[in-house]
Amino acid sequence: MRDRSLQYYLLVPAFMIVVATTIYPLAYSFITAFRDWDLSKQRRPQGFVGADNFTQALSDANFLSTAWVTAIFVVVSVALTVVLAMGLALLLRRRGPLHDFTRIILILPFAMSPALIGVSYRFMFNPEYGVIAKGLGQVFPPLAGIPWLADPHLALGVLIATDVWHWTPYMTFMCLGGLASVPRATEEAARMDGASSLRILWDVILPQMTGVLVVVAVLKTIFALKMFDQVVTLTGGGPGVATETLAFYVYKVGFKWFDMGYASALAWVLTAILMAVSAGYVRMLLKERKMATA
Amino acid sequence: MKRSVLSRAAETIILLVVCFVALFPIVWMFLTAFKNPRDAYDISLNFQPTLQNFVTIFSNPWNLGHALLNSTIVAGATVLLSIPAAALAAYSFSRFRMKARKSLFFAVISTQFVPAVVIVLPFFLMFRSLGLLDTRIALVVVNVAIVTPFVIWMIKGFIDAIPLDSEEAAMMDGASRLRVIRDIVLPMAAPGIITSAIFSFILTWNEFLFALILTRRHATTLPVALTNFRTERGDLWELMSAAGVLITVPIFLLALVIQKHFTRGMTAGAVK
Repeated sequence: MRDRSLQYYLLVPAFMIVVATTIYPLAYSFITAFRDWDLSKQRRPQGFVGADNFTQALSDANFLSTAWVTAIFVVVSVALTVVLAMGLALLLRRRGPLHDFTRIILILPFAMSPALIGVSYRFMFNPEYGVIAKGLGQVFPPLAGIPWLADPHLALGVLIATDVWHWTPYMTFMCLGGLASVPRATEEAARMDGASSLRILWDVILPQMTGVLVVVAVLKTIFALKMFDQVVTLTGGGPGVATETLAFYVYKVGFKWFDMGYASALAWVLTAILMAVSAGYVRMLLKERKMATA
Repeated sequence: MKRSVLSRAAETIILLVVCFVALFPIVWMFLTAFKNPRDAYDISLNFQPTLQNFVTIFSNPWNLGHALLNSTIVAGATVLLSIPAAALAAYSFSRFRMKARKSLFFAVISTQFVPAVVIVLPFFLMFRSLGLLDTRIALVVVNVAIVTPFVIWMIKGFIDAIPLDSEEAAMMDGASRLRVIRDIVLPMAAPGIITSAIFSFILTWNEFLFALILTRRHATTLPVALTNFRTERGDLWELMSAAGVLITVPIFLLALVIQKHFTRGMTAGAVK
């Protein structure tokens, strides 16, 4: 049967693209991670330095601080997004004009360019003329004149807000997809027995949603670990280094300081974290599929 | 099933608040785009609307028309290169039970989780030695890298949903596999493929990191051009907002066109 070879021929174009544009650069930066290469002084990569670039990271206070910032960012933004998305999905499960309208509106934040989101939040949180900063100050006078983006904690908070605003709609759609496959029968039966809505949510709906919720949480974790665009356009990493994420720090080391060896090593630390998370994700998908076919 | 008036009212209020939160930053940007510079620094809604900002961003020294052209060409070329390759691969993954299928598929998918900042380092060095920095070609190459695995995943979800019957019937009649793909599968998968194409257009259009690192002047795309409005005189918010409207309107229109398929395709791809 000719299908035998055709099934692989069909894959060739896509694989050529993936190999040339992903596998090759990955291998290249992996090798560079073990070399000494200051691009501002040297045109070509210098000698191999073993794991020096990696051990440098462990004593680099800047790196440790970005790792900490990234960890806080990931935990808070994932938790908020998952809870909000699940709640919204429960509301939007019903039909109605306002429900349908909300579904359509939710597409917009997701379609908006993240760089632009950063810019527009920076505008809105400007203490002198930003509409949110000023509006809050007028409604709650104690909040007037707070320098949102000049305070390390508040700036990180605003950064998280941009990310939650951007991703909650998408994750809501994923939760809605999951809810659609939860059979209504058990729910109706529980309601007949007089169970409260909260009980039904907790005992009937959520247990059947765990698979989808884990997928949502892991995907969001992956996206959050890569956070870059809004860091540049909202805070520039500041004040100081308070909102520098790992991806931003790699960019800074590589393209502001031109230390290619160290930047590659840091990039691979980030890649390793992401691969570990995605490996867990892939295993979960496989397990789910097995359960679905069983 | 009856629900109390109170819970219905609460639901309405929550949804209105959600719509407000989702729309407010967008509406504010659109309003600011039509303000003159003085009004942009005032949160009052009482202002004389002007189109001057849109004239300004297209003229010297901003010349956003050039960035608009770059964004369109880069996003368009990325879609044209990645969609055909991805559609073929998606069909193969969906229909054949090859031995290495599972591991190949997950190899493709996991490349999607590689952070862009890792890929861009070697590409920067490579384009530098090839003299391709600050060209549209460079941007298309890296964007294809990010988009292709993602689109394979999406299109596979759509092809999975197409019943096998008509395909099998045609093969019984002696049609070759390639004919079946061209005459039966592609037409049936067309809505899904168009959705995926629009989706990857949006991803590329909004892409920021690659464009920031690999371009300086000639090949800058719209999201990077935004950063030009941060000047020594401060941020020119009214111009930034006008540029924001320029970036957003085409994408919003595309997103609304595929709205229905979009939500379905996304959930199918990710959850299945």
